[in-house]
Amino acid sequence: MRLTGRRATSFPGLVALRLSPSLLGRLGRQLKKCIVVTGTNGKTTASRLLAAILAAQDPQEPPDAWIHNAEGANLAQGVVSALLEHTDWRGRLQWTRAVLEIDEATLPRVAHDLPVQWVVVTNVFRDQLDRYGELDTTVRKILEGIRDMQATVLLNADDPLSRYIGLTAGRPAVYYGMERGMAKPPERETMRDGTLCLRCGRPLRYEGFFYGQLGVYECPACGFARPSPDFMGEYDGASLRVTGGGAPARFQLPVRGVFNAYNALAAIAMARLQGVPDSAVEEALRRYRGPLGRMQVYGTDPASVLNLVKNPAGCDTVLETLCGEDVDKVLCIAINDLAADGRDVSWLWDADFERIPERGRAVLCVTTGLRAEDMALRLKYAGYPTGRLEVVPDPDAALDRSLEAARAHGVPVVHVLATYTALYPMAEALRRRAAAAEPAPARAAREGERP
Amino acid sequence: MLNLYADRGNVQTLLRRCEWRGLHAHVTPVRRHDEVRLRDYHLVLIGGGSDREQALVAEALRRRRREWKAAVEDGLPVLAVCGGYQLLGEYYQLPDGTKVPGLELLDLVTTAGRPRLIGNIAIESPEVGTVVGFENHGGRTVHRHAPLGTVLRGHGNNGRDGYEGVRYRNVVGTYIHGPLLPKNPRLADFLLSLAAAYAGVAVDFPPLDDELEWAAHRAFLTRHAGVRGPR
Repeated sequence: MRLTGRRATSFPGLVALRLSPSLLGRLGRQLKKCIVVTGTNGKTTASRLLAAILAAQDPQEPPDAWIHNAEGANLAQGVVSALLEHTDWRGRLQWTRAVLEIDEATLPRVAHDLPVQWVVVTNVFRDQLDRYGELDTTVRKILEGIRDMQATVLLNADDPLSRYIGLTAGRPAVYYGMERGMAKPPERETMRDGTLCLRCGRPLRYEGFFYGQLGVYECPACGFARPSPDFMGEYDGASLRVTGGGAPARFQLPVRGVFNAYNALAAIAMARLQGVPDSAVEEALRRYRGPLGRMQVYGTDPASVLNLVKNPAGCDTVLETLCGEDVDKVLCIAINDLAADGRDVSWLWDADFERIPERGRAVLCVTTGLRAEDMALRLKYAGYPTGRLEVVPDPDAALDRSLEAARAHGVPVVHVLATYTALYPMAEALRRRAAAAEPAPARAAREGERP
Repeated sequence: MLNLYADRGNVQTLLRRCEWRGLHAHVTPVRRHDEVRLRDYHLVLIGGGSDREQALVAEALRRRRREWKAAVEDGLPVLAVCGGYQLLGEYYQLPDGTKVPGLELLDLVTTAGRPRLIGNIAIESPEVGTVVGFENHGGRTVHRHAPLGTVLRGHGNNGRDGYEGVRYRNVVGTYIHGPLLPKNPRLADFLLSLAAAYAGVAVDFPPLDDELEWAAHRAFLTRHAGVRGPR
């Protein structure tokens, strides 16, 4: 089964679960330490960072001494796959500690089967509504899951929906959040989930925003407010200063953007709660390699950067980062609407694509994928000139067109944005073009190193 | 508050299509405790939201029920999508039997049902041709008015009678979002012409370059309303 390659991360578990529904419980019970990471955005990055940090604690142990379901395989099958990979032929786990990324809708279904001691909730944003129904359902699912566990919860203080979970879950809660001095007033009226108080229904009042709905908030009517974080982060674009749970320390981050600073803060806070020394944290951050589609750079001609987009909040942070780069660029946006992407593409209209005509410096936008036309229409109504807009439904052809146009315009970078099912084909296409663009001597030298 | 399913896209479509024709339009977002004088407006949009938000909106709007009724009878154009559509009727009945009262502008009732009716939808409307988009609703709606159209593919009002949406005077109610208007330019212009007539402004609506709009509309029809593709 491994022969089918990296895209089959959930497959062995699916087969096993069909054969034996109690398998998750039988394997899960053997865990002595179990940390779960859930939430809408950032769970892959946060849990990977955390797993890397925990594994770096003891250099004597192999790097997989903490069981971890990599690559966003975060439904029940994915968790079983991860556990099975570390099980011997008698059904016993070789390692008994796990950091598991779990999808928020799956949480209540696996809560009974895993002896979870800690739960990290990254945030609750609007995400793939057609899969879960409506937003309030996501909050309810997470609450249901947590109530069934004997766990302590680590929550994002800056997110009002997470705060509501902390207040109503009936479990001990610890909070992390950003320094309030970093909060900025909103640029424009964009849609923000949870701007109403979940307790009394009144609009929340914000002193400032970090990103999306994350900010310094309070309800003027009932006193619901952002708690003072136990772990405080201060992000300067490259490093994160962390206060709380030990001496204040500054960490160089291997990932970019405020949203990733939150992911790192969640991981570092949890590491400190587990008593991991700062030296191990630093070491793990230095060696960390990000998951696919989080600002990967490819050596194509010219260079390209690949990003996953899947919901308004995540997409806005990507747009903010790339529009903040003050160079001309070509954008290639691949939108699919298969089950894993969410069948409903209406979220494109809640993302702030207006940034692109305003200050994106995009000389050309190429849209592709099953919903290439919808994406083009979104850009047209965002105010992007239709004369510089091209619809190329075939992803390979779209990528070639983007790179060719970038060379013709003398533009230094192509930014590729892709939804989940478009991401792997795009990564593969970029890898092939990067290999072809590499000068022959360099390639020969590199290949010569390998046996 | 009812602005969940990308209702921003509908507002933006109407605004741009005015702007491209040199018309001026102003948009006033309405918050829950705002006092709205309906006679100041020529088109009202009510969007969708979660059950919780919808109940809060219903409670606030019901206080001005008479004013709403008079305005609608007088020809105020209203576009109501999803939760907003349900709100036009007598009530929304929750799974436990509780009836959340609506604005009672139309002879229309909605009952919560299972499963949710989710998926791509295409309908044929006698007034504006094919209308395409996405639906996602638990409620089953029945009413005694004309529908917006007949279902070509998808569920529509209740998944049973083959009708989608409602048409009454200058009111358009529908479950279709995605958002509704960008890919359906004829419907967007239909609403704008209703608004112009209601405002008493004599303007014509010259056709726009809608190549991208129709490309998206056609791509959708080919993929979803024709023979099911190989998926």
